[in-house]
Amino acid sequence: MIAGAWLCLLAPLAGALLITLAGTRISRAAAAWISTGSVFLGFAGAVDAFIRVLGESPEDRTHLSTAYTWVTAGSFKVSMQILVDPVSLTMMLIVTGVGGLIVWYSMGYMKGEDEERRYFAYMALFVFAMLMLVMGGNLLLLLVGWGLVGLASYLLIGFYHERPEAVAAAKKAFLMNAIGDATMALGFFLLIAKTGTLAFPTEASAGALSSSTANLVALGLLGGAIAKSAQLPLHTWLPDAMEGPTPVSALIHAATMVTAGVYLIVRTHLIFQAAPDVQHLSAVLGGITIVVAGVIALVQWDIKRVIAYSTMSQIGYMFLAAGLGAYGYAMFHLMTHAFFKALLFLSAGVIIHHLAGEQDIRKMGGLRKVMPFTHAAFLVGALALAGIPPLSGFWSKDGIIASSFAEGGVLGYSLFALALLGALLTGAYTFRLYFLVFHGPPSDLVLEHAGGHGSGHAHGTEGAEGHGEHAHGEGPLSMLIPVGILTVLAAIGGLLVIPGVWEPFLTWIDSVAEPLVTATPGQDYATSVLAVSIGGIGIWLAWRAFVAGRELVATGGIRTALEHKLYFDELYDAVFSRPAQLVANLLRERVEEPVVQGSLPEIGAGVEDAADGTARLQSGLLRSYALVVAASVAVLVVVFVAVR
Amino acid sequence: MLGPDVTWYLAISAVLFAIGATGVVLRRSPLIVLLSLEIMLNASNLAFVGFSRHFGTVDGQIFALCVMAVAAAEVCVGLGMIVAFSRRRMALDVDTLTELHG
Repeated sequence: MIAGAWLCLLAPLAGALLITLAGTRISRAAAAWISTGSVFLGFAGAVDAFIRVLGESPEDRTHLSTAYTWVTAGSFKVSMQILVDPVSLTMMLIVTGVGGLIVWYSMGYMKGEDEERRYFAYMALFVFAMLMLVMGGNLLLLLVGWGLVGLASYLLIGFYHERPEAVAAAKKAFLMNAIGDATMALGFFLLIAKTGTLAFPTEASAGALSSSTANLVALGLLGGAIAKSAQLPLHTWLPDAMEGPTPVSALIHAATMVTAGVYLIVRTHLIFQAAPDVQHLSAVLGGITIVVAGVIALVQWDIKRVIAYSTMSQIGYMFLAAGLGAYGYAMFHLMTHAFFKALLFLSAGVIIHHLAGEQDIRKMGGLRKVMPFTHAAFLVGALALAGIPPLSGFWSKDGIIASSFAEGGVLGYSLFALALLGALLTGAYTFRLYFLVFHGPPSDLVLEHAGGHGSGHAHGTEGAEGHGEHAHGEGPLSMLIPVGILTVLAAIGGLLVIPGVWEPFLTWIDSVAEPLVTATPGQDYATSVLAVSIGGIGIWLAWRAFVAGRELVATGGIRTALEHKLYFDELYDAVFSRPAQLVANLLRERVEEPVVQGSLPEIGAGVEDAADGTARLQSGLLRSYALVVAASVAVLVVVFVAVR
Repeated sequence: MLGPDVTWYLAISAVLFAIGATGVVLRRSPLIVLLSLEIMLNASNLAFVGFSRHFGTVDGQIFALCVMAVAAAEVCVGLGMIVAFSRRRMALDVDTLTELHG
């Protein structure tokens, strides 16, 4: 059991190291295979651990394995340990399973790219970091993983380092995450100061905290969670992160890393339960993010940005669920979202690849006939995202909506309203994208790429050369097979929870995180009917607008505001960036140039004068030296005698 | 104990040291300066041996031996330099040998 888990953690690390150390001694294809193989080996380890844990009784499913003690300071010890329990196993399976598919997909997508080996080493490093985050057996290791995924994300967003936008996006992501990392570390420090241990909080240790401590710790953790998961108000980095290669967007900025915040809340739910106000705050932030991201997604033209805003919106649902205490549904939506969002990103990647790097949906259209397989896959993903039964998104999202309804009260009903509004927006923006890309007459760009895809072509903005192996007109098999597998998962992945009938996933998670709110099957099905019809209305609105040939949001003022992403970037620029620049300029003009730089010549001249003066003492006259020595000794003798 | 008291040895040592110091400070010939230095070293040796005898230990005598070794080495260097000066026909006057001034 534990051996499988350690294998799962270490295989991707070994893969990353191997590719890095081998350098140019191995071919690019070999690097890709090492990376893919190591992640799938990790998946095998995770499956082994999963099957063994599944065979145990629910109360014995938590295992802590310590490899060695890493830091010892008196009675304070930090061990290199991993925690294997249902929550971490779920994450392990998602990270290595979906991750393996995406790395495999990258083989076709990145083929011919410069620096492919670097890409694959980074991908394996990311998988290792993410596993470290979810498997870390204490708070410090969680923080280590948290930092490492931030690093991997930074490296991969900035993978096209010759493009200034990519470098700027990478920096932005790192800075925004650093804010969250700082608050999270402070939360951990406070927790460690109060409990004296790095172990994850237990009922006893969380219950012993005073309410102000619990609130502060929970706020710190929430800060980390919202930064990593791109929730309001620390969300502005995620859309820009789409500058990275598409598989990176699928793996890091949709399926795994951005959901780390949800994992954190579930993992430390006892702290949040000790601070109910903060927990509700996370639900409220999630609810607001659902709607804000949804409306911004309505006006985006970049295929990847639409999906990125949709990711923010869907993670909003997870935060809503975690904030209300429906941990099982939060994790469940995390899983189904990993399937269908990875599917959407990878299908978008197939399209972008096919169209030589074009990402503007205004230049697409009519792809349905040209790319039937991708069309089917994307449609499944889009329907799952919009929550249409029986696809996976329906089961998980409606469980969350029902939980907010079951919570009741002002909070529950307002979150319920936000979630329903989110369902409407999801249907609308998803199908606006779908119709614009796949329906209507083929655009010029599509026609241009329709026939001659076989012989290789320039890869547009991503600067790669074409590729040979095309079994299919839509892309290499290494891209299409993962898409196919994800299509199946996105379609049936939701069947693990059928309210009232068959809920193995919820019982699986519940043994670690007891839910605070549970909807009755009746509430569940009633809200489902409502949510599905509202989602259907969204789809219908998108269709009507598409047929009429107009945009969903046409009015001037609102549209401009949405196109500027509700001015968050401008706001942060005005509030933080500009004042900082102002102060920095002022300091440079008033302090740096006149004082610091201005004083340098004077200091130099002063030292030189002093040196000249001292040098005069060295006359070269031997007898005067002797006299000075003799006189000094005489003086010393007198002093000693006198002091006596 | 035979012979005079340690005070006498110290007095002679002090006189010798003063003579040596005066020689180092006043004389300009490097050769004489070296000789004066030797007188100073031997003054200290005399004090060492005097104390050694006074306290009945051999530490001072061992020190004196060390001082002699150092003095021998120092004379080698010093005389070597003086020979080198005269070979180059430089003035044997410490007041003119001020090449190393600052």
